[in-house]
Amino acid sequence: MATPTAPVSARAVVGEGLRLVGGFARARPVPFVLAVLGAALFAGAIIAASQVIGWVTDSVIVPVLSGGEPREGKLAPAVLAIVGVAVWKAAAIVLRRDAAGYLQFKTQQDVRERLIEHQLGLSLSWFARQSMGDLLAIADNDARQATGVLAPFPYASGVSLLIVGTVVLMFFIDFWVGLVALLGMALVVFIEVRAAVTVYPAWEGIQRQTGRVSSVAHESFDGALTVKALGREDYEVERLRTESEDLAHRIAATNSLWETYRVIITALMPTISLAVLVVGAIRVDAGAVTAGDVVSGLYLLGLLAFPVQLIAFVLFDMAASIPAHRRVTSVLEVDEVVEYGSERAAADSGPAPVAGDRVTFGYEPETVVLDDVVLDIPAGRTVAVVGPTGSGKSTLTMLLARLWDPGSGRIRIDGRDLRSFARYELPREVAFVSQNSFLFDDTVAGNITLGAEYREEAIVEAAMMAGAHDFITELPNGYDTRIGERGAALSGGQRQRIALARALIRRPRVLILDDATSAVDPSIEAQILRRLKSADLPSTVILVAYRPSSIRLADEVIYIEEGRVAAQGTHEELMQSQPGYARLVRAYEEDAAERSQSSR
Amino acid sequence: MTDTTETPRISTMAGIRRALKEAPQLGHRLWLIVLLNAVGMLVHVLVPVLIQQTVDRDLTEAGVDIPSVLTKAGLAFVVLVLGAWSARTAMVRLAHQASGGLSDLRIKVFDKLIRSSVLHVQSERRGALVSRVTSDITTIQEFTEWGGVVFIVNGTQVLIAITAMVLYEWRLALLVVGAVVVYALVLLWFQRILQRNYDRVRRVVADSLAVMGEAVTGLPEVRAFGIEEKTMERVHHALERRSRTEFRTAAFGNALFSTAEIFAAGLTAGVVVVGILLGPSEGVTAGVLIAFLFLVNLLIEPVQSLVEILDFAQNAGAGLRRVVGVLDRTDEIQEPTDPVSLPPGVLGVEFDGVRFAYPGGPDVLVDVDVEIRPGSRVAVVGETGSGKTTFAKLLVRMLDPVEGMVRIGGVDLRQVARTDLRRRVAFVPQEGFLFEGTIADNVRYGYPKASDREVRTAFIELGLDGWLQSLPGGLDTHVGERGGNLSAGERQLVALVRAWISAPDLLVLDEATSAVDPALDVQLRRAIDRLTAGRTSVTIAHRLATAEAADEVLVFEAGRLVERGPHPELVERGGVYASLYADWVAGTLTG
Repeated sequence: MATPTAPVSARAVVGEGLRLVGGFARARPVPFVLAVLGAALFAGAIIAASQVIGWVTDSVIVPVLSGGEPREGKLAPAVLAIVGVAVWKAAAIVLRRDAAGYLQFKTQQDVRERLIEHQLGLSLSWFARQSMGDLLAIADNDARQATGVLAPFPYASGVSLLIVGTVVLMFFIDFWVGLVALLGMALVVFIEVRAAVTVYPAWEGIQRQTGRVSSVAHESFDGALTVKALGREDYEVERLRTESEDLAHRIAATNSLWETYRVIITALMPTISLAVLVVGAIRVDAGAVTAGDVVSGLYLLGLLAFPVQLIAFVLFDMAASIPAHRRVTSVLEVDEVVEYGSERAAADSGPAPVAGDRVTFGYEPETVVLDDVVLDIPAGRTVAVVGPTGSGKSTLTMLLARLWDPGSGRIRIDGRDLRSFARYELPREVAFVSQNSFLFDDTVAGNITLGAEYREEAIVEAAMMAGAHDFITELPNGYDTRIGERGAALSGGQRQRIALARALIRRPRVLILDDATSAVDPSIEAQILRRLKSADLPSTVILVAYRPSSIRLADEVIYIEEGRVAAQGTHEELMQSQPGYARLVRAYEEDAAERSQSSR
Repeated sequence: MTDTTETPRISTMAGIRRALKEAPQLGHRLWLIVLLNAVGMLVHVLVPVLIQQTVDRDLTEAGVDIPSVLTKAGLAFVVLVLGAWSARTAMVRLAHQASGGLSDLRIKVFDKLIRSSVLHVQSERRGALVSRVTSDITTIQEFTEWGGVVFIVNGTQVLIAITAMVLYEWRLALLVVGAVVVYALVLLWFQRILQRNYDRVRRVVADSLAVMGEAVTGLPEVRAFGIEEKTMERVHHALERRSRTEFRTAAFGNALFSTAEIFAAGLTAGVVVVGILLGPSEGVTAGVLIAFLFLVNLLIEPVQSLVEILDFAQNAGAGLRRVVGVLDRTDEIQEPTDPVSLPPGVLGVEFDGVRFAYPGGPDVLVDVDVEIRPGSRVAVVGETGSGKTTFAKLLVRMLDPVEGMVRIGGVDLRQVARTDLRRRVAFVPQEGFLFEGTIADNVRYGYPKASDREVRTAFIELGLDGWLQSLPGGLDTHVGERGGNLSAGERQLVALVRAWISAPDLLVLDEATSAVDPALDVQLRRAIDRLTAGRTSVTIAHRLATAEAADEVLVFEAGRLVERGPHPELVERGGVYASLYADWVAGTLTG
């Protein structure tokens, strides 16, 4: 997935950022309007608070303390005004923050659900070109970052109102005082925009570098056994050191830059106050304004000192949300969706014949994995697919389960093209078990039923046939034991057997096993195969196998060499006609024979 | 070994001391940073004071003293610039020291972990261990960068504001400080509730990530079984729960946050009332009171931030303790202080009363006494869980025995230098792990000085040149992340060549060809047998063909070495091996 970098111009950031916010706001208008309303109330409260302080100074503090007026009757209104404005302000804060938070969290949820839902419909050929880590980062980080601007946005609009309001009030106090405030605030906003726009790309660089540090650590730790077996610990440490020090330099440089801007802003606000003071003093001297006017103006500016710094943060969030949103969109716009027809499944109607008609396939356009494959498997047969490493056996089974679609040609079950089935219908006829089946973070039973309704006896029966019942009953909670990341650790062979039970319980019309017992101990595997053979499955079985014992289970063998069906027939026939097949299957036997000859 | 994922029980202070010792750069002249910051902070107090002075003295009813206003404003501006410069200097120093120091700490932790056996013994904990060098350090980094700054800046601001208040009018100061302390205590109490809520948020977030991750990584299963709707339902529930929990927690925090306004107003009102009640006769002038209103404002914000930062500080503290906890682990495999060199030539192996168990776990191997003669070919067999892989790991010192001793070439393994051991003994684990890069890069990984020609020769020696040629880019083919572009069997081939190229005197293979097809398996074994003639090889075998060809077979069952001897003898004996062999023959016989 390409990582689009941030737009560099401030205009682009603001323009695109506002469009983004607008889009989210249209989807959920009520919380958005409430949040902006809260922000406006908040701005009003801040201005009111400054008026109250000015009023208290002018009509209470100065008259009483400097003018010697009596304090009676003056304190209560002052207290009431101060506290009343504060309650107003607190209510506005709660309204603004709650509404904005709700908007942000719900929008995040919307984005994530749309992403996952869309991806569930995409073809595996698209997934094969992606890194799973990237896709998850998009659903997690990017969804958060794309919506990150929503929480501070209402506040920022409130602060903007506040700035405008302050400047307007200053103009009401006096034209010259207002002019100083206007110029000062314009300068502040200009610097804030520059800060966000220059620091953002550097920050993105930090994120990328953090990713690199993390992937070095992941790779080294995953390959720890290999690292140690080859005595390359020092090399790995050096690899990490290079990335980690690069990261440290980036962080130091970026933070220095950011701090410089921050210091400028924090010094600029009091500088504006000083300018207002000087101009105010001159105007007081001229008799144009009162001292109280200048005090309330100064107080207002003081209140802005902190919120004004938020503008840079919001712009920063905007700059971050734009590329994040682009990455989200780039997934949502992928149109390699799996196309479905309208055919309904005919479940429970006994084994189905499987046919492949000149099937050609490659994971990438230029490489051919399967070439002109013709298959004809009668209903109810058990067929072994045999071939050397890398000949295309697994690929063929994935095509039969329609995990991928052929480049050309077609595959039919009971005469119906796999692509003509409606969504969710084909799995009711075909079950597929791979070598590395995925187990969900669920109970053992849940992993077998996958959420469908089955009687308990059916679950146990399927588990028994898959040779899984015995070890399942030894787990702490039997069939209700949780597996997955935070559950029981299972061995590879145990996982394979649960996956096998998952397929068997469905009593599919076509059962496809891609080396599905490769990690199971040979003696247990032999048992499983015997049970499969004797069970009266209503299925056509297609299995990828190496071991002659598995092959012997089959009525027929399809021998694949370099992506082509070299031959189809009984084991005996192929032993006769296919020297490659005979060599593969008899490798151990011949090896043993040769050895006993040479030792004789 | 349990302390790697949990937070160790040491105090945060001890953690900080330890971190400062490991990465002294972190604490380098910290006092200077604090001092420079204090100077920067002072400005924020001085300016309101100057403004107050000006309003009080120069903006009176009697008239305005313009020259005095200008002088004071000019003075204030100079102070501002100085303050800004010193604050920036402090922050830039802190940024450099923190990032550099934490990078040093990260490298030390990584160095410690990569040498520790926990990574391959408890592979399910790898994710947690990766976070020791990533997210834990990032949390500390963010804290020092943001939280730490807030701590220093706001702490200084609070101190200065309080000092200024006390200097002005101690009774009003007492009122303000007393109220702020009470308020801070109340906030702290709520903070604890907030912390619990955050923990809940973290859990639901982790859940939602796991569910989304399953939907994407488990897609082939989801598709194959047509459970898209069920999966989407799960995703929806997890995300719904997450957004609800996040919102509730945020709403609680918002309510808490908004009380600050009411508190500040109450305090302001209190100051006005008490100030006026005291009156000018007690020294409270209009200027003093106005200055106090500024100072109260200056105090509330930092106190609030300080309380907010506390839970961040707790997280960073926990991260720090976990990081330091890794550094405090004792190495399971210790480098010898006085290493002994392995004797030249072919190496034999002796196991002498070896017992092994993982800490706190049951025995995995017991009473293993065996001698492997130099130059012999030994196969190790047994069912899954019988202890045969542990035997291999002990043999190459990936693990150390709990009891007894393993000797190679007559030397106790614990006394052999790691580099010496790795040069002479090659171990090929089952996983066939490949690093991102080309096939040539991966072969050279263990033997960086190998030329292209040597790499090619190694493939030819093992009879794999045909396979190599079938790849689109030959030696320069990119294997992808963790070798994902190759099949499991192909990855094993590369891993085998990688070990082979270093021409070891003792070769230990742990089911190193379990995923390749039978014909290739036989071919590889013959090549290895031919090439290792005269050298010692130990093969953990999944397929008994290897055992048939070996000079001697070691049979493990439930952690014990139960049988040993050449293949024909063991078959005749009719024991464990004989029955394993019968299963094998039944599986391979074509007839």
